[in-house]
Amino acid sequence: MDYILQILGPMLQGALVTTALFAIVIVLSLPFGFGITMLARCRFRPLAWLARGFIYIIRGTPLLLQLLFIYFGLPLIPGIGQYLVFDRFTAACVGFVLNYAAYFAEIFRGGLLAIDKGQYEAAQVLGLSHPQTFFRVIIPQMLRVALPALSNESVTLVKDTSLLYAVSVPEILHAAKTAVNRDVTIVPFFVAAVIYLVMNTVLTLLFKYIEKKFNFEREM
Amino acid sequence: MAFIEISGLQKSFGKLEVLKDVSFTVEKGDVVAVIGSSGSGKSTMLRCLINLETVGGGSIAIEDRYLVKDGKYPAKKEIKQITSKMGMVFQQFNLFPHLSVRTNLEMPVRLTQKADKKELSAQCEEMLQKVGLLDKIDAYPSQLSGGQKQRVAIARALMLNPDIMLFFLFTSALDPELTGEVLSVMKKLAEEHMTMIVVTHEMAFAREAANKVIFMDGGKILEAGTPDEIFNHPKYPRTAEFLRSTL
Ligand SMILES: Nc1ncnc2c1ncn2[C@@H]1O[C@H](COP(=O)(O)OP(=O)(O)OP(=O)(O)O)[C@@H](O)[C@H]1O
Ligand SMILES: [Mg+2]
Repeated sequence: MDYILQILGPMLQGALVTTALFAIVIVLSLPFGFGITMLARCRFRPLAWLARGFIYIIRGTPLLLQLLFIYFGLPLIPGIGQYLVFDRFTAACVGFVLNYAAYFAEIFRGGLLAIDKGQYEAAQVLGLSHPQTFFRVIIPQMLRVALPALSNESVTLVKDTSLLYAVSVPEILHAAKTAVNRDVTIVPFFVAAVIYLVMNTVLTLLFKYIEKKFNFEREM
Repeated sequence: MAFIEISGLQKSFGKLEVLKDVSFTVEKGDVVAVIGSSGSGKSTMLRCLINLETVGGGSIAIEDRYLVKDGKYPAKKEIKQITSKMGMVFQQFNLFPHLSVRTNLEMPVRLTQKADKKELSAQCEEMLQKVGLLDKIDAYPSQLSGGQKQRVAIARALMLNPDIMLFFLFTSALDPELTGEVLSVMKKLAEEHMTMIVVTHEMAFAREAANKVIFMDGGKILEAGTPDEIFNHPKYPRTAEFLRSTL
């Protein structure tokens, strides 16, 4: 017990880094992902292709490769490389935001596809403008459809933050591994697992609550 | 000029000619039933009237203003003003599932007109009373039966004080008891001299509530007249055959 308390300090510090990354990625990649969804539906073809190409590449390659590319690869590009040097944490943020934006974009796209065209027609006939239709009719229904998938992705994100290990940002796993090596015990791994579980439980409960708020498909 | 004047309406989907030279007029207070076999173009015609489809040719004039003249549309603002005089009740009702019945009725008014909150609420209750669903004001669409949804859709359209109501009335799928309530709401509207164009398979409605029946066949109006003329003295064998098939 004393031992756990002793290693808890550095591990919670790691958890703080994880939480910070999580918050930054969620706050930035949700709107960014939504923007990409809109671009992919854009009538101006080149922009739509650009958005779809982005989604295709990001989803088709490993996040770890993307992180390594941004941190180690970008600075090596001749000419502009010198301007693309990020510190470890920033590089990780950029990589995660790009990656999750692509996944969120796909989720939003699916949510929009699930909306019946009659909803747009009803809005038109009732005299709603395009922005009014979008914000009052389409987005709430899209979110309702997208929430379970968004919840899943968020839990995955918490676990994916352990990839920070690869670019040597001192997060939970890093602290655990250091303690394991130093003290020759597996206890830190268990402590790390518990911290991840606690974070994901809180997150899942939060999403359950939001889903309930959005649940208008109440039965009789 | 008639209240609604439609002449030479044409509409194609790709190579498929769905409306070929459709012409008819509607007077204020008319209740027009549009009947005809499946695929004859009834729905497409109604959708053209409220600008959900773009016509390929012909004219639609509503209350002396052209929604489209010889296949040419005016500016968006003009189109919006003309279509704002019409309400539509869709085949699938298209209520907003994420909003309560009250908000379904109030939101469109709130977003498109200046409205006093109290007046709006009173108007909402009045409309629901009219369709007999005041007790469902806080329900969500998923909690309503088909016939109830249809009546909420009617109330929602009425909230915008339309001069003309366009209906899809396909009741066969619904509970017969509730069908009766929908029909009685529509008869009530007819008694209040609301101008209505109703696409329907419900011959009883066409016979009893309409004062004008239009029979469409293959993208054309084959025959138009009073219910007595169409149902009891059809001019064309095609009309008689269709009516027999609906019995
Ligand atoms: N969006 C569309 N794209 C292509 N074809 C269409 C479209 N909408 C309708 N059609 C075709 O137009 C024709 C007329 O359709 P419409 O829905 O107007 O018929 P209807 O008289 O309302 O039939 P029903 O009684 O079955 O509702 C049909 O052949 C239909 O397949
Ligand atoms: Mg139809």
